[in-house]
Amino acid sequence: MSLSISFSGKTAALAAALVFVFGCATPGKLEVTSQGTSSSLATPSLTADRALSNERLSFISIFPLENLSGSAAPLKEIRESLIQDLKNKGFRVLDEKLLEEFMARQRVRYVGGIDGANAQALGEETGVGAVLITSLELYDEKYPPKIALTARLVSADDSPVILWMDSIGLSGDDSPGLLELGLIEDPKELLAKAPESLFGSLKPTLSQIQDEGVAARQRRKFRPKYFFHSPVMDPEEKYVVAVLPFFNWSDRKYANEIMALHFVRELSKLRNFRVLELGVIRQELLKFRIIMDDGISLDQANVILASLDANLAFTGKVIDYQDAQGPEGTPVVDFSLFVIGKKGLEVMWASKSYNKGSDGVFFYDWGRVRTANAMASEMVRTVSAMMGSEFRKGKK
Amino acid sequence: MKLRLSLLTAVFLSLMACAAPTRYHDANMDFGGIQTVAVIPFQNLTSQKDAGERVRDVFMNMLLASGGVYVLPPGEVARGISRAQLAEPSAPSVEEAQKLGNVLTVDAVITGVLREYGEVRSGTAASNVISLSLKMIETKTGKVVWAASSTKGGISTTDRLFGGGGQPMNDITEEAVSELIHQLFR
Repeated sequence: MSLSISFSGKTAALAAALVFVFGCATPGKLEVTSQGTSSSLATPSLTADRALSNERLSFISIFPLENLSGSAAPLKEIRESLIQDLKNKGFRVLDEKLLEEFMARQRVRYVGGIDGANAQALGEETGVGAVLITSLELYDEKYPPKIALTARLVSADDSPVILWMDSIGLSGDDSPGLLELGLIEDPKELLAKAPESLFGSLKPTLSQIQDEGVAARQRRKFRPKYFFHSPVMDPEEKYVVAVLPFFNWSDRKYANEIMALHFVRELSKLRNFRVLELGVIRQELLKFRIIMDDGISLDQANVILASLDANLAFTGKVIDYQDAQGPEGTPVVDFSLFVIGKKGLEVMWASKSYNKGSDGVFFYDWGRVRTANAMASEMVRTVSAMMGSEFRKGKK
Repeated sequence: MKLRLSLLTAVFLSLMACAAPTRYHDANMDFGGIQTVAVIPFQNLTSQKDAGERVRDVFMNMLLASGGVYVLPPGEVARGISRAQLAEPSAPSVEEAQKLGNVLTVDAVITGVLREYGEVRSGTAASNVISLSLKMIETKTGKVVWAASSTKGGISTTDRLFGGGGQPMNDITEEAVSELIHQLFR
C-alpha cells in the first residue's frame, strides 16, 4: 500500500514535471516586445500583453509604399520585389485583393503608419498578425543608381507595437572594388539587391532580432557638434517615446518625415525606450487638432504626452538633407533635436548635428558615405546611443 | 619728423578701428539672476531665405549646451509671440518684450539681426561670411542689458593671393555664435 502510494506519488511528480517542461516548451509561442524578441531585457508586462504566435506573425500584410523620394519611382515593382523576398523567407502575405478591399472599407489613405483602430480591424478582418509599412526615401536611376528604403513591422492589434524596423541606403558605387568591378550601373540590379539587404534581420520567427541597446556602434565624426542633457532624467525609468513631426527647413521634400523615421528606428533599439507607432501619434495629433507653428509648445506637448501616455516627445528641425549629385557629389545632413519631458515639461535633451559624406575622408574615398540615408542613420544612431549613455552617466 | 608723426597717427587710427568695441554690458545688471531666456526669431537682412532661422537654431542649441541659462524650446516661443500679439516679432518694443516675458515667464528675451550670411566674392576669390548682432532685453525692466556683434569669415589675403573657398558656412556660424556666447558670459 505504502509502495503503491509512493509509486503514484513519483508518477504524479514525473507527470507534473513533464507537463511543466512541455508547458515551457509549447511550440508556436513567441514573446515579442516593442524592441523585438523577448530577452532578459524585455519588459514583463509587454511580453505578457504582446505574446503572439509564430504562425500569426508569419502571416503579414504589406501596405503600399509611402513615397518620400519626392520624385516618380517604380513603386509597384519595388513592392513586388519586397513581397517576393518575404515569401522566400517563409512569410505568408495577405492577398492583394483582400488588402485593397480592407483599405477601401476602412477608408485607409495614409500608408506611412497605422493607428490602433485600423490595426485592430486589419487583424480581426484578415487574420494577419502584423503589417509591414515601407517608405521609399530615395530612388535615382542616374549613374550611380541609388535606392533608400525604410521598413517596419507593426503588430495588427488595438495598440500597435513596432516589432521590427530597419532601413538601407544603397548606391551603385558603394563598393567599387578592384578595377571597379564591383560598380553597379543598372538600377534594376541595385533594386534586386535592396530587399535582401533590408530584410537581412527579419525572420518569420523574429528569432534573429536582437535588442542592440546603447552598445550601438558609434563613430566619432557623427557625434552631435554640441548637445545639452538635463540632469533630471532618471536613468532607471522606462521611457515611452513619441516622435513628433520634425520641421523641414531644407530644400528636400519630406526630409522631416524621413528624419522622424530615422529616430523611430534608432530609438527602438535602446533598452529603456519604447517607441510609439507613428500612425498612432498622427491620429492623436489629428484628434486634438494640434498645429505646430515653429515646433511644439509646452501646452501641446503636455496634451499629446498625456493622451499617448508617453514620457518623452522628440521633435526638431531638419536644416539640410541633400543626397549626393553624381559620382563626385557628397550628401549633406544637418538637423537639430529637442526632447521635451513630461515631468516638469522641460527640455531634456537638445543637440545639433551636421555632417558631409566626405567628413574624415583623406585617402582614396576611404570612409566616404554615399547616401544621405546612410549618413543620417549613422548620425541619429550616434545621438540615440549618446542619449542612452548620457542617461547612464547621470545615474552615477 | 612730420612724416613719422603722420605714420604714427595712421597706425594708431587703424589700430583704433580694429579695436572698436562690439559689445555692451550693463554694469549694474546682475546676470546671475537671468536663468531662463527666450530667443525670438532673428531679423534677416540677407538675401538668403531662412538664414535667420538657421543661425537662430545654432545659437539656441549652443546657448543651451553652454549650461549657462535655460532656453525655451522654439515652439513655446512661437506660442508666446502669438499670445503676446507682437506686431514685429523680430524687433519687439520695450512694452512688447515685457509682455512676452510675462506670457513665457522668462527673465530675458534675446533678439538678433543677421546682417550677412553666405558667399561673398571679390575678383576670382570667394568665401563665406556671417555678420550677426544680438541684444538681450531684461523682461522686468524692458532695458537692453547686453548687446554684441560678431563677424566671421570673409575673403582673406591668402584667399586673394592663392584662391580657395574659405571655411564652410556651418563652421563660421559656429565661430561667430561661440564668440557671442563667450562675450555674454564674460
